[in-house]
Amino acid sequence: MSQAHTDRSSQGEPTASGRGGPLAHLIVNGALAALFTALFFRAQALPASMWEPLGSGSFPRLVLAVLVMLNLTIMVKELRAFIAQPAGERGQVSAWIWRHRLAFGVLSLFAAYILLLPWLGFTLASLGFLLAGQWLLGARSFKGLAIALVIALVFSLGVDTLFRDVFIISLPRGLFG
Amino acid sequence: MMEALLSGMDQLFTVSTMISMALGVIAGVIASAIPGFTITMAIVLTLPLTFTMPPLQGVATMLAVYVGGYTGGLISAALLGIPGTPSSVATTFDAFPMARKGEPGRALALGIWASFFGALVSVIVLILAAPPLAMIAVKLGAWEYFSLIIFAMTVVASLVGTSMLKGLMTGLLGLFIATVGADPMMGVARFTFDSDLLANGFPFLVVLIGIFAVSQLLSEVEDAAGVKQGKALMPDDVSFEPLTALKEVLRYPVNLVRSSLVGVFIGAVPGAGGSIANLLAYDQAKRASKTPEAFGTGTPEGVIASESGNSATSGGGLIPMIALGIPGSAVDAVLMASLMVHGIGVGPRLIMDHGDLVYGMFMAMMVAAMMVLVVCLFSMRLFLRVTEVPKSVIVPVVLVCCVIGAFALNNRVTDVYLLLGIGVFGYILSKLNYPLAPLVLGVILGPIAETNLRRALMSDENWTLFFTRPISLALLALAALSIVLAIRHRRRAAHTTPART
Repeated sequence: MSQAHTDRSSQGEPTASGRGGPLAHLIVNGALAALFTALFFRAQALPASMWEPLGSGSFPRLVLAVLVMLNLTIMVKELRAFIAQPAGERGQVSAWIWRHRLAFGVLSLFAAYILLLPWLGFTLASLGFLLAGQWLLGARSFKGLAIALVIALVFSLGVDTLFRDVFIISLPRGLFG
Repeated sequence: MMEALLSGMDQLFTVSTMISMALGVIAGVIASAIPGFTITMAIVLTLPLTFTMPPLQGVATMLAVYVGGYTGGLISAALLGIPGTPSSVATTFDAFPMARKGEPGRALALGIWASFFGALVSVIVLILAAPPLAMIAVKLGAWEYFSLIIFAMTVVASLVGTSMLKGLMTGLLGLFIATVGADPMMGVARFTFDSDLLANGFPFLVVLIGIFAVSQLLSEVEDAAGVKQGKALMPDDVSFEPLTALKEVLRYPVNLVRSSLVGVFIGAVPGAGGSIANLLAYDQAKRASKTPEAFGTGTPEGVIASESGNSATSGGGLIPMIALGIPGSAVDAVLMASLMVHGIGVGPRLIMDHGDLVYGMFMAMMVAAMMVLVVCLFSMRLFLRVTEVPKSVIVPVVLVCCVIGAFALNNRVTDVYLLLGIGVFGYILSKLNYPLAPLVLGVILGPIAETNLRRALMSDENWTLFFTRPISLALLALAALSIVLAIRHRRRAAHTTPART
């Protein structure tokens, strides 16, 4: 149960204190348990086979059933931790979001990059993402921006040329396709 | 045999072959150091370049990429905590913490030497024991394969993270993710919801990049103050002392040989490969260690076990390929294809009909291992420059490399969308302290597990065969034992360090 009290990221940084960690588990594991239950019933519609005792739905159903049980077990453990813990201070969630603002910023940029990739093409989308990403993460001085521009050109235009001319792999061309 | 060996050497030791091998080694190291660029991808990209070469030069060049790739995966595993290939997942457990503690040079040097010795041991075993080992591997039926996968899953679930329950959950989640897309036996679409996005399922490489690279990179930029100050991934003071590392590696001869032999054996089992070998070698080293509690905190034993284990699979994988024409992994399948392009049939008659080629391949493995050692020892200071690059540069650049890796695999934009979704999901799981390695292993092993379970029951509906066939029973007993030992170890640890709040 102790891990429920001291949730840590891969770097060992505490991710929540008080009831925050157990509550996050209850929400995520609850959602997963509901999803896996729905998929379990959906898997029952998959066809059986005349040639084998297990059809195409048996193995997924077996896995999904165990997944539902595991998620419910984790939820029971986290519920106990939630009850045992005192309520956290007000504003903890917004403080956590503020601490992770750069991660969310990079994630938003990355999502925009991927969604625009087929439309803008690899070169333009990567150029924009690399410039915006480096600026967001601290390249603000003239020298920093100049280096960022060179890096952005090498890893967008340069990489595209390398893949197209050397490896004969065409990355998305987008507007210039 | 002697005549074939000399003929093979004569064909191998030419200037053009040595140059193409050296280039192959460098390409393999660099490609595998980039997260998302697996050895398979590097070797597939090399294949067209070898069409115009003589057969041995072509295969030797690809073997150089192969051997170089196993060492290259170490670089991103140690410096970024992202396994460059699935074979270096266990390397992140100790090499990354060691690098984080300010010893990236030591982590890399230990890994390079361990890789070299692992590859060397595998070549020796390959030459001496190829036929009998291949016979053992080929005797494994569908029951044994399924039990082997159960064993691998329980080992990895008990190995990583702080909670076995969470390890099992992510492992099974990986098995489920692998079921999305076409059924491996009937071709029926499962859980695709008639969407183009899910029509081809989740390619394991996309899951690997999303789970490890994207979520890890997002974790890297959480420290807003550190990133804005241009803080690098590692401290500035990096020392690289290969001779000290050599002495340190040789201080663990049993670990080195045991892990290499685990790698050779697992490599010889078709379908298993380096992704399991590094974890099993690590697990064995942890169980045998006098200080198992130090594993996961940056102990040299962990780095040595994982790196010698994964490098040794390169030789092991060639055993069933050369002796029986069964490729041990996707990489071996590409190697096999390169021989077939030149009209050489791969199977039991290969040694008899093309002895010079086979012995030339054995020699090429050894030469490639030495080349990797030289290239890495002399150029590692260049690779260490990666540590001086600030996060503001490395994070966006590696994210772009991840997109290229995900796209180039199948030339599908939908795979890039999946990468984003999996990356976000992986980030959420890592924030909730879920271990991610079992998930990736589950995705890789899922199709093998399902196919063998269904094949076993298709040939005989009696499910008790899983418990009555000796090897299958032994593997299932080992799986149960690994769970019991892990629970006992965790309970003991909880008693010795009570009230962790």
